[in-house]
Amino acid sequence: MSDAPVFADGLDEIAQEFLVESYENLDELDRALVALEKEPNSRPLLASIFRTIHTIKGTSGFLAFNGLERVTHVGENVLSRLRDGHLELTPEIATVLLQMVDVVRALLGTIEQTGAEGDVDTAAVEAALARVLDPQAAPAEPEAAAPAPAEDAPVLDDTDAADGAADEADGPAELLAKPDVEEETPVQQVLEKAPVAPAAPAPAAVEHVDAPAHPEEGEQRRSIADSSIRVDVGLLDQLMRMVGELVLTRNQVVQYTADLQNVELQRASQRLNLIASELQEGVMKTRMQPIEGVWSRLPRVVRDLGAQCGKQVKLVMEGRETELDRTLLEAVKDPLTHLVRNAVDHGLETPADRVAAGKPAEGTLTLKAYHESGQVVVEVSDDGRGMDPVRIGNKAVDNGLVSREQLGRMAEREVLDLIFRPGFSTAEQVTNVSGRGVGMDVVRTNIEKIGGSVDIQSVLGEGSTVRVRIPLTLAIIPALVVRQGGEMYCIPQVSLLELVRIEGESEGVGPQIEHVAGAPVHRLRGNLLPLVFLSEQLELARESREALNIVVLQSEGTQFGLVVEDVVDTQEIVVRPLSRQIKHVEGFAGATITGDGRVALILDIAGLSQRAKAVGGSLSAMSIEEQLSSEDWDANGLLVCRVGEDRRVALPMGDIARLEEFSDGDIEHAGDTQVVQYRGELMKLVHVGSLLGLAGQMHADRYSVVVHRHDGEQPLGFVVEEILDVIEQELQLSDVGTRGGLQGSAVLQGFVTDIVDIPALVAAARGGMYV
Amino acid sequence: MLAMVIDDSRAMRSILRRIVTELGFECVEAADGQDALDKMSEGPVPDLALIDWNMPVLDGLSFVTSVRENRDWRDVTLMMVTTEGEHAQIVRALAAGAHEYVIKPFTPDAIQEKLQLLGLVGVEA
Repeated sequence: MSDAPVFADGLDEIAQEFLVESYENLDELDRALVALEKEPNSRPLLASIFRTIHTIKGTSGFLAFNGLERVTHVGENVLSRLRDGHLELTPEIATVLLQMVDVVRALLGTIEQTGAEGDVDTAAVEAALARVLDPQAAPAEPEAAAPAPAEDAPVLDDTDAADGAADEADGPAELLAKPDVEEETPVQQVLEKAPVAPAAPAPAAVEHVDAPAHPEEGEQRRSIADSSIRVDVGLLDQLMRMVGELVLTRNQVVQYTADLQNVELQRASQRLNLIASELQEGVMKTRMQPIEGVWSRLPRVVRDLGAQCGKQVKLVMEGRETELDRTLLEAVKDPLTHLVRNAVDHGLETPADRVAAGKPAEGTLTLKAYHESGQVVVEVSDDGRGMDPVRIGNKAVDNGLVSREQLGRMAEREVLDLIFRPGFSTAEQVTNVSGRGVGMDVVRTNIEKIGGSVDIQSVLGEGSTVRVRIPLTLAIIPALVVRQGGEMYCIPQVSLLELVRIEGESEGVGPQIEHVAGAPVHRLRGNLLPLVFLSEQLELARESREALNIVVLQSEGTQFGLVVEDVVDTQEIVVRPLSRQIKHVEGFAGATITGDGRVALILDIAGLSQRAKAVGGSLSAMSIEEQLSSEDWDANGLLVCRVGEDRRVALPMGDIARLEEFSDGDIEHAGDTQVVQYRGELMKLVHVGSLLGLAGQMHADRYSVVVHRHDGEQPLGFVVEEILDVIEQELQLSDVGTRGGLQGSAVLQGFVTDIVDIPALVAAARGGMYV
Repeated sequence: MLAMVIDDSRAMRSILRRIVTELGFECVEAADGQDALDKMSEGPVPDLALIDWNMPVLDGLSFVTSVRENRDWRDVTLMMVTTEGEHAQIVRALAAGAHEYVIKPFTPDAIQEKLQLLGLVGVEA
């Protein structure tokens, strides 16, 4: 037998070719096998499946991948019997064949990584295949399995009569010799994904809108593939880079000639402009691949998962020919698979539930891809139970992502959006089939990493649609050019929300930059926007602050403002990677050359947003209420509230635990005292207004309550009319100690404000005064 | 001398191309029997064809039959490249007009020997 001799020099190349080809074939095979279940007697399908395995077997023998050869050899025998009508395809056989594909894939994976087959265990699947060929010869019971009967069994059909006995000896015999291997091998894990159980529910039906699994079409595609040529991806990338350079040079030429009076030159420059654009488009097209390449493995995923969850799923694919850049294609593969698994596992109901809900027993999962305004949109929708905002809200509260209070303020769309928060998908999903410990937050992060976005729509009882938007390409992007310290920096426009410019700091509008928990923020239309100063990030001297240019950015669900010296222009830029020497410098995603020929660095917005988070603690662009209800504010701050008609008071934040709202119905009366159930305890309510001798309103629909809790003591609730703000300010008290319960007064934000003496208030409340 | 490698596997074509090139052949490739017939019709006609058995569209046996039916192609040497499982079928291929066969997996030497027998490669090559 061969030991792959002679080609010491060229073997790697051939093995590489073999791997690429085999992976392509396996994707095709998955599809064909699933299609075969619908059409078990299709000879063209069977012939094509047989040929694929046969090809892998032939080449692997040459390359001395013996395990691979063994598995495909037994598989080929099963397939040839199916093809010749000696064997009828059952769901069990289909499952075993799919397992074989998995093992082959695993072997190829190991070969790809290590150059050798490694210790991928092939025994289990070989045994399963052998059992298909002869159920008696190789019983599943390990103890009973002796090598001899398997070898003697008339397992193989006549075309295999010529096979060397030696060949068989290291096939079935070896696998039966170590049967207990089935316990905990990696292959077993693979197998568990697709149960052999005879009781397996009806397999999921997979239907392509335009029936791609037909072998005629497959063959057509093959010959089309032959009429095209294979080009090294590295070469394409290089071409792309050079076109990028050309575009940059074109930009310069166009810019310079615009200033000249030479008409001929201007005409030529316009032509250059046009041609370069077309060339750029053409080269970009060469990197485009249909999304089908990513979708091809989904029928298999749906089939296995459907069988496992006991669900019937019809998979409909629309727009399989939609193309996008190959690097992006690679990046959306896992997120899409995750979304599809989620839809089958969580979205669709069991057949019984569906029938009870008046729907067909078979659920429909639709994948749709199309181009829309320069982006590719991929939709994953199901006609399942839809997402229940109430359940999602409760789960988010249970997991501590939001408070019940925040939840109450959220629109339904925002509630659904909670599933993208880190920490939302917990144990329930990890143990479940759909979660490989990967949550929707990872899906969103990965999509946003390539400049895309994810959103979700759902109607309870009718189904959900997840819409993923991805850019066509990453190589050339629109960007905002800003200036800082004399240098240009680019900001990809996908992250850009708006530009805000604030002229000089004066006129008593209040400070434009405030500090919350020590972090700079800007108050933009009532929301607090954490600020990141580009000058600080780049460790440059701070610019003079006559006017403030804030670039409002969004990344990973966080909004923040980047303060820059000057906003210059928008440009189409060609993204160039940073060279190895400076790649480790944080904060930059790449570089480009601007129209005037200068190098400009592209800012890493995701990285900056992390900084924004780090600077602002958990504070992102929260509303004031949200910020107030967060637990980690600055203990030195002052909480400004309104009591009575227009009286402003400030409470030092030292021992204030939370801000809550209670409705009238929550409040109970114990004698003259108002109490409310708060986190399993009774909390006494103290009206700050009446403390100050105001005719504070004692009855309202809703009460704003400042919860005070000193170490270990019972909580106290200070009732105020309205919570206005949190500020940080040095106090300059006047009228010190003029009235009970007050420290004095101060001017805060231009208003006279009484500063509450909390310890005195607490003591009074405990003592029963003022209440 | 021109050899045509007919196999639906790119990897296998690469292997065969390497072998025949080292033996001094020019080499063209075809992805299946029909593709090979088309390329032979367009010319140039190869001196040697290395033919896989199992291919889509038109398999190796049908290809051999078609070549033998065309008098213009009677000088083409036909060599089947098969796996052991197809051993029994080799007789059919030889009956249909194939000249020689090699069994996968094979060594370059095996091919060289067969080609020497056919007189396509010099003994010293």
